[in-house]
Amino acid sequence: MSEPLETVAELSAQLDSGVVSARALAERSFARLDALDPALHAFLFTRREAALAEAAESDARRARGQRRSALDGIPVALKDNIVQAGEPATCASRILEGYVSPFDATVVARLRAAGAVIVGRTNLDEFAMGSSTENSCAGPTRNPWDLARSPGGSSGGSAAAVAAGIVPAAFGSDTGGSIRQPAALCGVVGMKPTYGRVSRYGLVAFASSLDQIGPFAHSAADCALLLEAIAGHDPNDSTSLPEPAPSLTAALSGDVSGLTLGFLREADDTSGVAPGVRARVREAVAELERAGAKVREVSLPHTRFAIATYYLIATAEASSNLARYDGVRYGRRAADAAGSITELYERTRAEGFGPEVKRRILLGTYVLSAGYYDAYYKKAQQVRTLLRRDFDAAFEVCDAIVLPTTPETAFRLGEKSSDPLALYLADIFTVSANLAGLPGVSIPCGLDAGLPVGFQILGRPREDATVLRIADAYQRRTDHHRARPPR
Amino acid sequence: MSTDYEIVIGLEVHVQLRTRTKLFSSADVSYGDAPNHHVTAVCLALPGALPVLNGAAVELAARAAMVTHCKLHPHSVFARKHYFYPDLPKAYQISQYEEPLATGGWLEIETPEGGARRIGITRIHMEEDAGKSLHEAGDPETQVDLNRAGVPLVEIVSEPELRSAAEAGAYLRKLRQLLRWVEASDAEMEKGQLRCDANVSLRRRGETRLGTRTEIKNLNSFRFVEAAIRAEAARQAGVLDAGGRIQQATLGFDAERGRLFVMRLKENADDYRYFPDPDLVPLQLPEERIEKIRAALPELPGAREQRFQEGLGLAPADACTLVSSRGLADWFEAAARAHGNAKHVANWVLRDVLAALRERDAEVEALALAPAAFADLLRLVDEGRVTAKSARSLLAELLFSGGDPAALVRERGLEAVSDTGALEAAVEEALAANPQAVASFQAGDAKSLNFLMGQVMRRTGGKVDPARVRELLAQRLARP
Amino acid sequence: MSRISRAEVERIAHLARLRLEPAEVEDALLRLEAVLDYVAQLEAVDTQGVPATAFVIPLATPMREDVPGALLSPELAVANAPSPRGTAFTVPRVLDDEAEG
Repeated sequence: MSEPLETVAELSAQLDSGVVSARALAERSFARLDALDPALHAFLFTRREAALAEAAESDARRARGQRRSALDGIPVALKDNIVQAGEPATCASRILEGYVSPFDATVVARLRAAGAVIVGRTNLDEFAMGSSTENSCAGPTRNPWDLARSPGGSSGGSAAAVAAGIVPAAFGSDTGGSIRQPAALCGVVGMKPTYGRVSRYGLVAFASSLDQIGPFAHSAADCALLLEAIAGHDPNDSTSLPEPAPSLTAALSGDVSGLTLGFLREADDTSGVAPGVRARVREAVAELERAGAKVREVSLPHTRFAIATYYLIATAEASSNLARYDGVRYGRRAADAAGSITELYERTRAEGFGPEVKRRILLGTYVLSAGYYDAYYKKAQQVRTLLRRDFDAAFEVCDAIVLPTTPETAFRLGEKSSDPLALYLADIFTVSANLAGLPGVSIPCGLDAGLPVGFQILGRPREDATVLRIADAYQRRTDHHRARPPR
Repeated sequence: MSTDYEIVIGLEVHVQLRTRTKLFSSADVSYGDAPNHHVTAVCLALPGALPVLNGAAVELAARAAMVTHCKLHPHSVFARKHYFYPDLPKAYQISQYEEPLATGGWLEIETPEGGARRIGITRIHMEEDAGKSLHEAGDPETQVDLNRAGVPLVEIVSEPELRSAAEAGAYLRKLRQLLRWVEASDAEMEKGQLRCDANVSLRRRGETRLGTRTEIKNLNSFRFVEAAIRAEAARQAGVLDAGGRIQQATLGFDAERGRLFVMRLKENADDYRYFPDPDLVPLQLPEERIEKIRAALPELPGAREQRFQEGLGLAPADACTLVSSRGLADWFEAAARAHGNAKHVANWVLRDVLAALRERDAEVEALALAPAAFADLLRLVDEGRVTAKSARSLLAELLFSGGDPAALVRERGLEAVSDTGALEAAVEEALAANPQAVASFQAGDAKSLNFLMGQVMRRTGGKVDPARVRELLAQRLARP
Repeated sequence: MSRISRAEVERIAHLARLRLEPAEVEDALLRLEAVLDYVAQLEAVDTQGVPATAFVIPLATPMREDVPGALLSPELAVANAPSPRGTAFTVPRVLDDEAEG
């Protein structure tokens, strides 16, 4: 195996010891980007000059003994739905062509305060709606493990950027699995924190009650570092948890003895899980057992209703959140729609939104409309309560739930596009965590026919530290997270 | 109009709360500025913006609910109300729907016949205001200004219990008085701080079912509300009398021509797709918080009015006028306390101070004279040190520029002539100069006394108490 | 049995201000039909007495002080506007009956 890609922790140590400069790291990122991204298409925008200048500033700070944090000088990438002041934010949609945000997302402000160097903005499914990054108006990103395959989605660009070693860390958003699923398909670590743990101020909203920003990296330890930098109460987000960022790196003791892991029966029963995936996941569970964790079976009986519940709630909220894209105050406006305001709205939105976004807006509008609200939206919110109760019951007898992240490894680009439900159904193992607001991480646990398999750990609300501790303990004993794509 | 019909009116009033910043953004509330000079990312509904609730708005909304005797709900929910319009940046308004802040209140109005009626208030809820669309004549475009977008409002919905245009006017005036009383809003209709939509329907007297109603919007004065309601009631009566049916519609009122016009026919109910806003958590108002707000309320007009009647002995009509605004009630009461004779002070306030305010079209807040100083002025009159007439001549100046009444009287040389010697001398002079009048009086012509009084007043420069002059003259004329 | 009609799709498209080509209406009809068919399974779930999850993690209501904060400059406010006039946004002239719904 070739040299593993360096982690944030390793690079940070190198910066501290003077082995490498931040400027050199940034240059290296751009060199790899220039070499690999034409084929990968992970990035929509780069900010070369600004990043190099910021890296130089980081070096100057370090020289003065004023290093801001372990992230000072580390190159990172942002999904193009996390806004940065003075930078474009298109959400991979035509309707936001040319849009430049006048304000920073809270996450961005915190990263910059920590000294991180933002090198560019990554590709996604339009408005984060999708599981393959094929819904981007700029064309798909490719999986570094096999360029004919999807990196997953919606945060496919960020996952690929890390998997390909262009940056050691990147940020994405997870509404129904959009961090965890691409992390699994690209062989990297991806974490969705507890709902409310990280501010959504500056995250372009898809489904407000489900969205969270989270990190991609090569290790759980890196994710702990990254999450500590961005998490914590934000007065600008009314749904953010009141407490400050939890201490995560300190919780990585490597010790899982005394913890009980619940292996999800419904994940095992599902015949839709590829044999190779099932095998790798069982091996991972066995490894944790050897490490001292107890393992038992748990059941979440309403799992089979999770997708339906998710799609009703997510599309309803999305139809509402996307109503503001009307060509009046920003973004692209339909040309010569001078006839009437109605025509302006209808044509701007018809021309600006891609087909999947339009479908979801239609479904969401229907779900909320008079006469259907009780049968669809309200019903879904009730089933959501039942799903939450399933988790509460399961967490009475275990400390974390373990399961595959996806039913299969990376699929070919174009494979899923014709079947309206196929991609939706692949979210089966990820959506429940969003519905219940739980923290969840996907970590690499080996390959199946040369393609990465992801193993998922879900925790109780606010127990992000426990989830990362289990992941980190696994990674101290294995090296699947150090595997890198053939290129 | 045929007397068979009963008019049924319900009013929906939107009131701007008196906060410094908007409901969900920290942009400041400001009027009249150039477009988009008071906006943040939240006001513009930029991608990634999120709402955060203004605590002061909650407090003021709660006061509005308390002053109208509503039940405040410890748990209420913000909901999104969806529609597309250029002055609505998110394409939804954050409002409250199934679980509003308050329900089940009332306010009392005086009917034109002189009685009192309670008008029920169905609900009060919080919501954000929209921006402004500006259409200029001949311009093919509409301009959009979002300075006002997000300003905090409460919507106050009455039960359809008003029975005449006059009652509607009384309801609005009462509501305005109450909201200003607790400083929830300045409620100036001309500034758009209080807006009223009227729902009007007719039914045959004795019928319990409601008739089809129309909605009249964009009424911007109390007079126009009443005029529009009268016009619409007459119109509907005409339609019904002719055997027709009322069509649901949204109407506007052309105040200049005094005519209604159709804004929109409403075939279908609007589908606003309400659902609880997932960017906000429910509004929890714990009991302690509610009690704190209640305890901080000033004595409400009803209670104050009663105290003026029972405690200070004022006549009901006088007490009522004195509580028309809290500023007036406070000013009067301070003056009454400083003086000691509430009725006496009330007479002067009701007659002279209000007249002075009316003449300048000013509010009580414009008074620069301290209530205690006003009491001093009245005492000068009581003690005969200045005539009431002289006092009145100085009143406007004192009221609006302030000052020390005694000093001003001295400065202007208006001290009353109260020295008996000087007065008697003036009387002697007047009598000596007008023997004809004296003779007339003694012959039985009472009017001559007035003439002689006038003569005495002239000789004393008017600085003398007329009653004293009359007394002295009468005494003198009674002597041979 | 059809869960959604063409007329419904057109009504929904109008509510969402999306102009759909005839081919898009057909596509929406098929896809929505498929999704609605799929989500119909929720009808079988017994939700009698189960409260709807309105809010994921129960929180006390966050409120802010009534203190003015930083504004966007008017120039920045219209910097992304397709058709600004001075510091105002412009749209084709709006007729009153286009409001709402």
